[in-house]
Amino acid sequence: MLAYTLKRLFAGVVTVWFIATATFIAMHQVPGDPLMNDKAVSAEIRANLEAKYGLDKPVTEQYFIFLGNMLRGDFGISFTQQNRRVNDIIRDHFPISATLGLLAIFFAATGGVLWGALTAIYRNRLPDIVIMFLVILGISVPSFVFAALGQLFLVNLNSLFGQSIIPVAGWGTFWHMLMPSMVLGLGTMALLTRLMRSSMLEVVNEDYIKTARAKGLSPTRIFFKHQLRNAILPVITVLGPQIAAITTGGFVVELVFAIPGLGRYFVQAVQQLDYTVIMGTTVFYGAFLVMMVIIVDILYGFIDPRVRLS
Amino acid sequence: MDTILSVEGLEVEFATYGGTVKAVRGVSFDVTRGETLAIVGESGCGKSVTVQSLMGLIPMPPGEITGGTATLNGKNILNLPPAEANKFRGVEVGMIFQDPMSSLNPTMTIGDQIAETLKVHRGKSDQEAFKLAVELLERTHIPEASKRAKQYPFEFSGGMLQRAMIAQSLACNPAILIADEPTTALDVTIQAQILELMLELQRTENMSIILITHDLAVVARMADRVAVMYAGQVIESGTVDDIFYRSSHPYTLGLKEAMPSNTDDRDKSLSPILGSPPDLFKPPVGCGYCARCPYAMAVCAEHLPPTTTISESHEARCWLHHPTAPDIEELHQLDDQNAG
Repeated sequence: MLAYTLKRLFAGVVTVWFIATATFIAMHQVPGDPLMNDKAVSAEIRANLEAKYGLDKPVTEQYFIFLGNMLRGDFGISFTQQNRRVNDIIRDHFPISATLGLLAIFFAATGGVLWGALTAIYRNRLPDIVIMFLVILGISVPSFVFAALGQLFLVNLNSLFGQSIIPVAGWGTFWHMLMPSMVLGLGTMALLTRLMRSSMLEVVNEDYIKTARAKGLSPTRIFFKHQLRNAILPVITVLGPQIAAITTGGFVVELVFAIPGLGRYFVQAVQQLDYTVIMGTTVFYGAFLVMMVIIVDILYGFIDPRVRLS
Repeated sequence: MDTILSVEGLEVEFATYGGTVKAVRGVSFDVTRGETLAIVGESGCGKSVTVQSLMGLIPMPPGEITGGTATLNGKNILNLPPAEANKFRGVEVGMIFQDPMSSLNPTMTIGDQIAETLKVHRGKSDQEAFKLAVELLERTHIPEASKRAKQYPFEFSGGMLQRAMIAQSLACNPAILIADEPTTALDVTIQAQILELMLELQRTENMSIILITHDLAVVARMADRVAVMYAGQVIESGTVDDIFYRSSHPYTLGLKEAMPSNTDDRDKSLSPILGSPPDLFKPPVGCGYCARCPYAMAVCAEHLPPTTTISESHEARCWLHHPTAPDIEELHQLDDQNAG
């Protein structure tokens, strides 16, 4: 298990290095640079700025400086937000995105497993048909529509009681997080429901379920001890990338609910060609995704003994 | 004789999109204590459905037990309420299946799976149940049982898994072990070991075995009595000698003709039974075998043959045993051979 973990960690480091390099190359291939703003800058000021940010050095040297700083955990200073360190941007705003994302994943995973198992049990009967219809809706309707609908619902709810029960937007308390995280997790929940359903239907027909019944176990025990654990494996596999995708891809929901998450800065930086912020956030997100996948792989090893030992 | 299990006129149907399949059409047999009953027949003849419906393992719906009775030690076992059915399944009857590789839960250790039965039905504690599980594994001759009990199914070979399955099915000392083609998925040497183990455990536990197979060699080695099934019916039943040396149904004769032998006539080419079994969506009115039977008569297609008692232990369902039926040389030749 230790060797397995170390192997996965090493592969993760290589992946992060690759992401960093690819981002660096891509950034320097894109026409324009962060100093080429709408304001005309004189040649002298430009030279000074380039010297300040190290843009006057050869690209290979810049690359090694970037790698060196990255290893020390320093992503540099933002080009567009004066004297703000990228590390500070991430430190200030990522926890918000992460809280929202993890809450969303919690909704998605519990809902997905629950609804998936339910649809499998009621296969082709009314609950199955209704839930699967909602699942298609959840997968195909984009999140900003649900976000707007969610807000509308909260507005109506609050006006019904004549006072603000659940805030419609903003950030701060748990009540602020409730609606955005549900909206954010909805697509993933729909996806996991489908996955769980097909996985459950597969497991129900396995020989070892017949064995369990021949042993005289109760349906509840068979469900929890034999079906669920085997059916949940594919769900856990996609959970890692989904956690990363939700945590990093929540900027639409963050925008609609006015949540000061990291997603907004990421998108802004790309628009403004803010090298350091783009590379900092990309590498950070990349490392986060890799970390999540590794954690899930290790978790998988605990649930499925075949992975642990091979 | 001490009859443990008695099945009378069992009928099982499956409702499908294509119509109703009459998979089992009036099957009767008895199992006495300590004996092995082999149920033989080709694929789709209803042998597996018969035992699975006794165990309550067929999915209902689409399956339905439409007729007949089955009693174990005098108690009805068909259509039991769920809690009683579970008790009966785990405690009084043990069952092992064709493919040991897929018959055990891949994410649970072997020991835990065996212990589970003991915990559920005997109320044992975790440690106690695990200790008993190790003992059961030892009884099925799995080396280093205490170490093996902590391993998962994928760390076992096919033969070892079938031993573990047997150990699991014996956990609550069942009166009957049902083995549904237990050696079909195993290679021949392992097959012999598993059969040997079953015979040994049968002697030590004084338990009955219902063995489902299509392998006549396995039948000859294991069985005390044999029921030959065809198209959802038992067409001949008797002791192993009755079936092999005094075959009284053309289908049994046909099966034997199709079986290779290593005695004097080993150069003789094997003769297969031509044709295919009848469509059980529309089961034939008369004898199910008549379309393939070389001795078929007009009456066979129109009327179901009655069960004829040939000797105290031997019954067959064929019109050829009717007093007015023509003499068939093959049936008599065999009789003579045995007499001589």
